[in-house]
Amino acid sequence: MTVHLYHWEPNANSGKPMLTLAEKGVVFESHYTDLLKFDQHQPDYLKVNPDGTIPAMVHGSRVLTESTPMMEYVDDEFPGPPLKPADTKERWRMRWWMRFFDSYFAPSLSMIGWAVFVGPAVRQRPREELEAAIARIPLESRRIAWRKAMFNEFSPEELAESRRRVLFCTGILEEHLGRHEWIAGKTFSLGDINGFNLGYALPLSQPDNCNDAKTPHIMEWLRRIYERPATRQTWKLGRTAMAERVKFLERGHA
Amino acid sequence: MLELYTSEPNTFFLKPLIALHEKKAKFTSRWVDTDTLEHFALDHSREVEARLHLEREGPLLDHDGTLISGSWFMLEYIADTLPGEDLQPAAPFDRYRARASAQFLGAQLGSLVPILGCVKYVTPRLTTNRAALDSRLSTVEPVERRNSWLALVNGTYTPQILDTARERLKFPVSRLEKTLTEGPWLAGPRYSIADIDAFAMLRCLPDLTPELVNSRDTPRIADFLARVEARPAVTAALATSRSGKPGQHFVPGVEPSRWG
Repeated sequence: MTVHLYHWEPNANSGKPMLTLAEKGVVFESHYTDLLKFDQHQPDYLKVNPDGTIPAMVHGSRVLTESTPMMEYVDDEFPGPPLKPADTKERWRMRWWMRFFDSYFAPSLSMIGWAVFVGPAVRQRPREELEAAIARIPLESRRIAWRKAMFNEFSPEELAESRRRVLFCTGILEEHLGRHEWIAGKTFSLGDINGFNLGYALPLSQPDNCNDAKTPHIMEWLRRIYERPATRQTWKLGRTAMAERVKFLERGHA
Repeated sequence: MLELYTSEPNTFFLKPLIALHEKKAKFTSRWVDTDTLEHFALDHSREVEARLHLEREGPLLDHDGTLISGSWFMLEYIADTLPGEDLQPAAPFDRYRARASAQFLGAQLGSLVPILGCVKYVTPRLTTNRAALDSRLSTVEPVERRNSWLALVNGTYTPQILDTARERLKFPVSRLEKTLTEGPWLAGPRYSIADIDAFAMLRCLPDLTPELVNSRDTPRIADFLARVEARPAVTAALATSRSGKPGQHFVPGVEPSRWG
């Protein structure tokens, strides 16, 4: 059975199953779905995932639409190197950190990203085109997010709170990686794949807070993941300057 | 050593109690009174995961010195680690469904149910002891965790906020009702941790939102609740209540989405 993956750039949620499949050595059929052109809200895609979110994975009759559980599915279903620790305490820690990334760190980081990147990238289009695009979005929560990004409706207080949390989370992650080689502990795992997709561009987007002097453990961790063949292979699938940012992690770059 | 930091068996605290009883595990209990914020007096600073509780409040499981936190991940940990009845779905896709269900319900029910429960039952109990609460809250970090309690103490949940919470509950409730048309359990052919996870958050809804969850409008959820409630392990878990009314005890729960 062929694996079909509907994804955008190797970044955030799309990058999580992309890098997991690459680490497992699973060949998949790539369906590039352009977030900035609202491909994910088009009728053809809504037949795959009626919620209109990316990524989505189709494996035979199975449709998977939640990116972090999707990573665990790939690890459970396919042969290849295990990406979950055998030790159940490490496995618990891997899952805790993935939820920390998904529910606490990522929403703040993405609010800043949507305010400075996604919003401006789509905002020059006619207002009626944007309104029509919003009207096609199935989930209320996503309509709210897109409206805020398109029309720059983030309040200064919201963005300040997001910046505060990003700084806080960066500190927590640095502390954690000072104690453990990898997110789960001694074993490279899905937790590192998840965290890399969230944080690979932190040294560029947060240069004052994430750098070799202030967060040496994060920098070393990102570089170690960047050097893995699966990471190189995955980031080659990027089509925009967004994916190019990963090259900042070349040793000696800065 | 297996020690559970527990409280009245409802929502987050109910989940590991059911799983441990299903496993017939031997464990000790350490009771914390959440109404007096006793859980904030525990020193878990050595473990970042316990300190930064992702659900803001909830059970902790001390297994030979490692503090397991996060009620869903605790269920996975119990299922993966302890001998006894197999509570993990067997097939990879069923495990995906369990995890996707827990993630969805964790964000939806995990933030909405506690607001309704806290305002109805916890706020009236809290007002009697304001000075002690203020003292204990003053050191709670991160700040949004403190603020969730202050909102209860100060009664800042307006009828409009509560109406919005009830309105937003319709989405996860209708999805659950639909999922249960596909089979009796949430993740595959047999009872699993996905069912424990959902049951613990749903059990109080016929009381909190009778207009939304009832045998006429959501017959499959009502049947599901009755089937899980009839399990001996669930009876044993609920019997740990000290008040005799576990469905009237709540903690603020997961932070609602900051995107609005």
